Amino acid sequence: MRHLRASGLWLVAAIATALLALPVLVLVGRASIEGSLGLTVTSRVVIDALALSLVTSGASLVVTVCIGTPLAYLLARRRFRGSWLVEGFVDLPIVLPPSVAGLALLFAFGRRGAIGPAFEAVGIEIPFTTLAVVVAQTFVSAPLFVRAARAGFRDTNRDLEDAARADGAGEWAVFRSVTVPLANAALAAGLVLAWARALGEFGATIMFAGNLEGRTQTLPLLVYSEFQSIDGLGRSTAAAAVLVLAALAVLVAVRALRWRSLFA
Amino acid sequence: MVVAAVSTACSQGSNGSASITQGRPITVLAASSLQAAFTAAGNAYAAAHPDSTVTFGFDASSGLRAKLEEGAAADLFASADVANAQRLIVDGLAIGPVRPFAGNGLAIVVPRDNPAHIETPADLARPGVRLVSAGDGVPITSYATQLIDDLAGQVGYPPGYAALVAANVVSREDNVAAVVAKVGLGEGDAGIVYGTDAQASSRVKRIPIPAAVKVSVTYAAVVVKSSRQPEAARAFLSFLASSPGQAILARYGFVTP
Repeated sequence: MRHLRASGLWLVAAIATALLALPVLVLVGRASIEGSLGLTVTSRVVIDALALSLVTSGASLVVTVCIGTPLAYLLARRRFRGSWLVEGFVDLPIVLPPSVAGLALLFAFGRRGAIGPAFEAVGIEIPFTTLAVVVAQTFVSAPLFVRAARAGFRDTNRDLEDAARADGAGEWAVFRSVTVPLANAALAAGLVLAWARALGEFGATIMFAGNLEGRTQTLPLLVYSEFQSIDGLGRSTAAAAVLVLAALAVLVAVRALRWRSLFA
Repeated sequence: MVVAAVSTACSQGSNGSASITQGRPITVLAASSLQAAFTAAGNAYAAAHPDSTVTFGFDASSGLRAKLEEGAAADLFASADVANAQRLIVDGLAIGPVRPFAGNGLAIVVPRDNPAHIETPADLARPGVRLVSAGDGVPITSYATQLIDDLAGQVGYPPGYAALVAANVVSREDNVAAVVAKVGLGEGDAGIVYGTDAQASSRVKRIPIPAAVKVSVTYAAVVVKSSRQPEAARAFLSFLASSPGQAILARYGFVTP
């Protein structure tokens, strides 16, 4: 009886694993067999989308670090009135459906949006531009970094910081030479996860930034568009396979960082 | 949208068993420009045929064709062009012949307050105009290309007109409904859509197109080969072609094919 139950457990686990693994394996397998992966270096639209994805996700990562690090530090170290509200708004994009994020961004930064006209008045056009892609990616991915960094800053050993202060180090020096190195693994894991989320951004981008080759058509949008176009399935598969490989690389990186932080 | 249609189909099926409805609902995948008219036609059809219900999935004809090629279950495919319907027959996924059931015209639309001051189609070529268009393969895109090419041959249109217009495209949306939405929101300065879209949306207004330029749009339907109720699908198609069906379509601005 116990034997039977144990084998039932294995069976359900095997089904669950297959359910999760099969679609991805079939996709990558099909891409390799049909040779569509080669399109990533020969097809103009795939190359454009790949380049745009790398540039925009890289830019959104820079923005995320610049504005996310101070915010994460503040949330980890200072108690202030309304901090729960700030934390709520930081977490919200993580659970928000991307299409909702897209509509919200359009209403905020669109030409008829709440603050879009102010940007347009100083010559910054956002909707339908590459900038809109970066805004959408930052909106959905920055929270992942802020959360990870907040946890990292919270868990660092304050005694070491105090020791540095006792030795006469200024706050900036303490932050740069003690806090950041101690929170390094958490910061890096947050960065990698945020990058992956930015790279995979679809819903907010297509609603807010539109879909134009070379300007706003990132890899996920290409997967969708080429699937619908006549004879575009190969290009769709190629872009999808690239995204799968990027996702795998992210998982490996996060694992490695966790491993390092355990034994550092 | 297809998911929504499928879930509607499920809920209607379960409700149906309690009421007089006997037959399973037929699923019609239709061009997004048909949404309002087909929804009305479906209601009228169900009222006249108590034993049949029709559920719809609306999207770009090209997107729907791609989904059918990947095995989406449906009974009837109603395309905004003949090409996508024909293609399904060539691929062995639909039963011929292609049946044209409606016609439409094209319209150049701008937001109601027309921020870019577009008065004639020639203005679409002005630098800085944000033109919202649809993706390659979406029927409206080939009709719009034809319209622009025809306009380019008109007196008073600058050399390279078509290329200038193409350079102003800021986005390629999934389907014509998304084009209307983006122009209506004022995010785009102009878009080329179907006449019926211009009539239906209160957020856009049309810019007159010279009478000499006329692109005619033909909607065509085919019965999906894997359909388990091709007779019911054909019956709905016949209803669309009948005078009550054509009257409903005409109410939404469609013409006879």
